[in-house]
Amino acid sequence: MNSSKLRRSLVCWLVLSPIVVAAIFPFAVMLITALKPSTEVLRPTWWPSRVAWENFRTMWVATNFGNALKNSLYVSVLATLGSLIVSIPAAYALTRFDFKGREFYRQFLLVTQMLSPIVLVVGLFRLMVALGIIDSINAVTVVYAAFNIAFSVWMLQSYFATIPLDLEEAAWMEGAGRARTLVKVFLPLAVPAMVVTAIFTFINAWNEFVIALTLLRSQDGYTLPIQIFSLVSGRYTVEWHHVMAATFAATIPIAIAFAWLQRYLVRGLALGAVK
Amino acid sequence: MTSKRMVAPYVLILPSFVLAALIVIWPVAELAQIASHNVNRFGQLRDFAGMANFRALLDDPNFIASLWRTGIWTVCVVGGAIACAVPVALVLNEDFYGRDIARVIVMLPWAVSLTMTAIVWRWALSGESGMLNSALMGLGLIDENIQWLAEATTAFPMQILIGILVTIPFTVTIILGGLSSIPDDLYEAAALEGAGRWEQFRHITLPLIAPFLNIALVLNTIYVFNSFPIIWAMTQGGPANSTDILVTYLYKVGFRLGKLGEASAVSLVMFGILLIFTLIYVRITTTARGVRA
Repeated sequence: MNSSKLRRSLVCWLVLSPIVVAAIFPFAVMLITALKPSTEVLRPTWWPSRVAWENFRTMWVATNFGNALKNSLYVSVLATLGSLIVSIPAAYALTRFDFKGREFYRQFLLVTQMLSPIVLVVGLFRLMVALGIIDSINAVTVVYAAFNIAFSVWMLQSYFATIPLDLEEAAWMEGAGRARTLVKVFLPLAVPAMVVTAIFTFINAWNEFVIALTLLRSQDGYTLPIQIFSLVSGRYTVEWHHVMAATFAATIPIAIAFAWLQRYLVRGLALGAVK
Repeated sequence: MTSKRMVAPYVLILPSFVLAALIVIWPVAELAQIASHNVNRFGQLRDFAGMANFRALLDDPNFIASLWRTGIWTVCVVGGAIACAVPVALVLNEDFYGRDIARVIVMLPWAVSLTMTAIVWRWALSGESGMLNSALMGLGLIDENIQWLAEATTAFPMQILIGILVTIPFTVTIILGGLSSIPDDLYEAAALEGAGRWEQFRHITLPLIAPFLNIALVLNTIYVFNSFPIIWAMTQGGPANSTDILVTYLYKVGFRLGKLGEASAVSLVMFGILLIFTLIYVRITTTARGVRA
């Protein structure tokens, strides 16, 4: 029995090997380049002659990493909070009420999900000019929050639907009002769903490119993807060891969070997709 | 009580509706206005121009080329991703040693920002010092360096492959969700009837995950159609516009050339195409629900 599982494991890993290699390859490139001494970066060898940890320190200063990190954290945290604050009530309404316009609202959310920021980018640019908040990370924050509503409602709703109604009904029977039941019974049960949704929204905002590229004009406001992109775009000499060190530092925390949470995504998306 | 219950859901959805509408409906209205006017590069509207901006697009060979390339890009990436994701999801659904690690590794490309992925690949594919060339040489697969990004014949296929790689995780996720909904006793019953693994796959697995495959197909089509960072960060649509797709063309026309009218017209064309995809999606999910009910 055990040996048959061993054989099956070998076959499984063999089938997966191409994609495993392809998925790990960029990480290997990032890490190895980041740890090469600057004189060896352009030499086409795989391994560095020594491990140059100091690249991370010099990168921090050379790429203005700290400021971009601060901007990314600011934008991602606020966008996540903003999107959750409006999405939680909406998801609650969609799971617990049957009202006229429910289907319309769901389809409206679907359309916002389909329209990626790039399609609207010229209009968004004009909107921000009209509101007078061009070149502000707050404008970027609002746009991120809005574009994550559909995803958040979708995820939250699929989890909310698994919370049994019985508990709330029991609370109503005992005379607790709807609002009180919501706060005391429903929301505590929904905390895991909110945490998972929040983290995925955070990752989306952290990784976004087009909006930041268009709306942020001055370097002070750059988020990490734009900052790193500005290090490679339109330059004749690129300090690749710095770029890769920055990419690695910006990616690893997110990759770890994602690795830890991906099974919730399997559940949430699958439930949401067909319901 | 009844009247209160009628009001409550609308109050609850209102904030999200207002915020989403502000960010979607206003820009769409702006786009329609800009696309139908002459406009200078600072965005000031001049006189009404009717369909002139759209006609200018049709006269631009780069637009037509980008439109075709978008079709190739979308079909290849989505098709490739689904063709790879089905076997991967089937394997990940098996019980084997190290499955949790395998799942994490397969999902990893999803966690990394597309911009960063593209920048890393741009470096890995560089002709003189790229690590892909040195790896392939080390394995004895090539004799001399390939300038991957110097011309469209190698750059665009590479971008498609990278597109496939980053699309696989989401697709696998959806298919795994479908696979987990299939009860085990169906397979046991089929095995008792003497059905082999291939027959089980064809007659049980495939029909039951079909709705999930459809959803993955449509959602991926939408995401890939809209995908900007891979091509922009690797080649910016170059060399000589030969890897432009609609989104990069749109960005160039709008923010490099400052032709906001034409850029808005491209946006509206894309908006139309996306609406068609959305309608297909709604159709598919309603029938999927019908199958399940």
